[in-house]
Amino acid sequence: MIDTVVSPFIEFSFMRRALVGCLALSLGAPPIGVFLMLRRMSLMGDAMSHAILPGAAIGYLLAGLSLFAMSLGGFAAGLAVALAAGLVARSTVLREDASLAAFYLVSLALGVLIVSVRGSNIDLLHVLFGTVLALDDAALILVAAIATVSLAVLAVIYRPLVLECFDPQFLRSASNLSSPTHLLFLVLVVLNLVAGFQALGTLMAVGIMLLPAIAARFWAEDVSGLIVIAVLIAFVSSLSGLLLSYYANVPTGPAIILLCGVFYLLSMLLGVRGGLIYRLLPRKHLEA
Amino acid sequence: MKYRLVMQIGLALAVLVGLSGGADAADKVKTVASFSILGDMVRQVGGDRVEVVTLVGPDGDAHVFSPTPADAKTLAGAEIFFVNGLGFEGWMERLEKSSGFQGKTVVASQGVKPLTMSEEEGHHHGEEAKDEHEHEDHAKGEDHDDEAEEVTDPHAWQDLANGKIYVANIRDGLIAADPDGKAIYEANAVTYLDAIAKEEEAVKQALAALPEARRKIITSHDAFGYFGAAYGLEIVAPEGVSTESEASAQDVAKIIRQIKAEKIPAVFLENVTDHRLLDQIARETGAKIGGTLYSDALSGPDGPAPTYLDMFRHNVGTLTAALSS
Amino acid sequence: MPNQGPAIIFSDLTLGYDRHPAVHHINGEVKRGELLAVVGPNGAGKSTLLKGIIGELSPLGGSLKLDGLKKSDIAYLPQQIDIDRSFPISVFDCVATGLWREIGAWCGLDADREAEVARALATVGLVDLAHRPVGALSGGQFQRVLFARLLLQDAALILLDEPFRAVDTKTVADLIALILRWHGEGRTVLAALHDMEQVRAHFPATLLMAREVVAWGETRKVLTPTNLAKARQLVEAFDEHAEVCERDESARERQPA
Repeated sequence: MIDTVVSPFIEFSFMRRALVGCLALSLGAPPIGVFLMLRRMSLMGDAMSHAILPGAAIGYLLAGLSLFAMSLGGFAAGLAVALAAGLVARSTVLREDASLAAFYLVSLALGVLIVSVRGSNIDLLHVLFGTVLALDDAALILVAAIATVSLAVLAVIYRPLVLECFDPQFLRSASNLSSPTHLLFLVLVVLNLVAGFQALGTLMAVGIMLLPAIAARFWAEDVSGLIVIAVLIAFVSSLSGLLLSYYANVPTGPAIILLCGVFYLLSMLLGVRGGLIYRLLPRKHLEA
Repeated sequence: MKYRLVMQIGLALAVLVGLSGGADAADKVKTVASFSILGDMVRQVGGDRVEVVTLVGPDGDAHVFSPTPADAKTLAGAEIFFVNGLGFEGWMERLEKSSGFQGKTVVASQGVKPLTMSEEEGHHHGEEAKDEHEHEDHAKGEDHDDEAEEVTDPHAWQDLANGKIYVANIRDGLIAADPDGKAIYEANAVTYLDAIAKEEEAVKQALAALPEARRKIITSHDAFGYFGAAYGLEIVAPEGVSTESEASAQDVAKIIRQIKAEKIPAVFLENVTDHRLLDQIARETGAKIGGTLYSDALSGPDGPAPTYLDMFRHNVGTLTAALSS
Repeated sequence: MPNQGPAIIFSDLTLGYDRHPAVHHINGEVKRGELLAVVGPNGAGKSTLLKGIIGELSPLGGSLKLDGLKKSDIAYLPQQIDIDRSFPISVFDCVATGLWREIGAWCGLDADREAEVARALATVGLVDLAHRPVGALSGGQFQRVLFARLLLQDAALILLDEPFRAVDTKTVADLIALILRWHGEGRTVLAALHDMEQVRAHFPATLLMAREVVAWGETRKVLTPTNLAKARQLVEAFDEHAEVCERDESARERQPA
């Protein structure tokens, strides 16, 4: 049994790299996903994957099919959209979801326009988005670095961020950290997403960020618990997804995310906090 | 007397002007070719008599091509639409309908004996290749039946013998639309077919010179089935037919095992798909990354494969360089 | 030397949303250490006034001066709806955020501070619920949580927006005791309230408003039937399609140039 699990990784370097890449992503992305979910911004990942197009397109126009230029451009565009949306939500009547929707749609349209001007029919985003089975050194280092930075920054802004989600008015009255915290968080989101897209493709990057966090909601009672469980679910899904892809010959990215989905369904049914079956079980009530 | 001479000269001049008018730029045969390889062939056969617009240009990917309104407009004004057929242009019918194209569609691969391929494993099942693969097929048994989806391999131009058929169809199509140019088309076709025959010889010789054990390559796009079958080269690919399908870990593991087991010497890139997967495979197996092979599209005019025959020269040169060392 | 002047000075203050004034040309002072009830019919602008004091709203006209008070000296209890109660945070952690002024964003809670939090919880009678998520609490219990947080904030000026709305009687009694304790400690307390009996029973000073000041001063002098009727009348005159307020112009005209 152990051999079944371990042997693909011993035999193949690409499996080892994929595992390391997934583990790094599982450390950096789910904590961010927890906060996205708590702020009701769960669809932001998908919106971002479209919002980065004009940046990638401009990078392509200036430097051809250079992954570095396109990623940098994509990151800049994503950041611009996220920060603009955040600022608008903070200073106008619009909420974060409407604000983001408006900006990412404009960005996407702009991107399509720019691409058509160049006249090439190469699918830019297809080129930009990688696959977990092909992580070269540069991609691995990028994912690992982003994970480290994310964790470090999150540790620093943890308390203000929690408060910003829970009782923003209190944070505003207690300190000036409200805006910088919010905006720094958005930077982390974009960073993780763009690095994730480049190394692993959209499905995996967004999926690993959100699904484990959403599943964790059925198990944990506070934010740190959510983070720990989300990271664990992401680890286990990555490992088993890779093995599934190896033994059952299914594409890797979707396999990993589908397993996250399985964990989500299981959590929904069996989770200690609000799981359906857990609630239906006849249990005696407590004394107090 | 003088006036009659003037009149005769004038008449002769008028006839000459009339004739030359018939052959000036405004009267070229307007054609559209679906992709760059066809575009080149049409130019070779049609010469100055035709004007060719290519829809999927150099370095383009016809599998993911999406026609624009400008393309529809171009097609609407054309007399002949040259397509590959064999399922290569998934967007063809839509474009013809939406543009209201009134001219003739010429399928260049008419009369070609198509090869089929299994999308899962990337092996091909043409008759020539069958013997080599039979024992492998039996070993795979049920595996094969469950997964294999037989798809027609559209890349028929990769066999120069088929290329000759393409040229013949193009020539006939041009003659049908522009009978006045028959002599020119036939002459151009003969010249071109000759060049193709010479290239065919050169390719066969170059590949025969390689030791049999080294006549195997890996490439990321499953487009060289016809080439491999015609010239004795075994092709293995990590992904399916088009650029859309995503690889599974098992696919990649199989390829790596196979390369290591059969000591396949070289990994080839191709000008339309993501090369990161190939890089990874090459790194892990120690196989050489042999260079870029052109399969579905020509390169730009300054590139190494601006015409159909140049494409073969480049590909064969790249192959032999990697496989002989 | 502690500042003896008034804590808050309103000068012709107008506050509102979308140009409609919710607080209209208010003048007056809140004395330091005062226990002031802010009452009025629905829509009278009580919440708006408190929001203006805490700085959530900028004046549409006039000014609001906080004498010698920094933002960190003010504690504000908003109406509960603004807080996300489904958020996964424990009662203990929620109350502990009241110590922000001391520990900021990064310091940990040492033993002393944990004891402070525990004491605050004990004062409001929530020690047993310390590790439950806030979402599991009733309205009254959560209000106690917010009061405990206020306790820890140790603020010089405390603003309470409808602190007893939808809260059980026992909790109300306990919280009123707390308010009186704060008053005894010399803190300035403003509470927007709707229950006149509570006001009459515990609050020495009252501001009766209906967008504008109707009466301000000693509670029994303010809460007369005449004044209350006047307030109701003013509220009925709220107009969705109001003209631009001319009062500023006419005031300036009346003054010598």
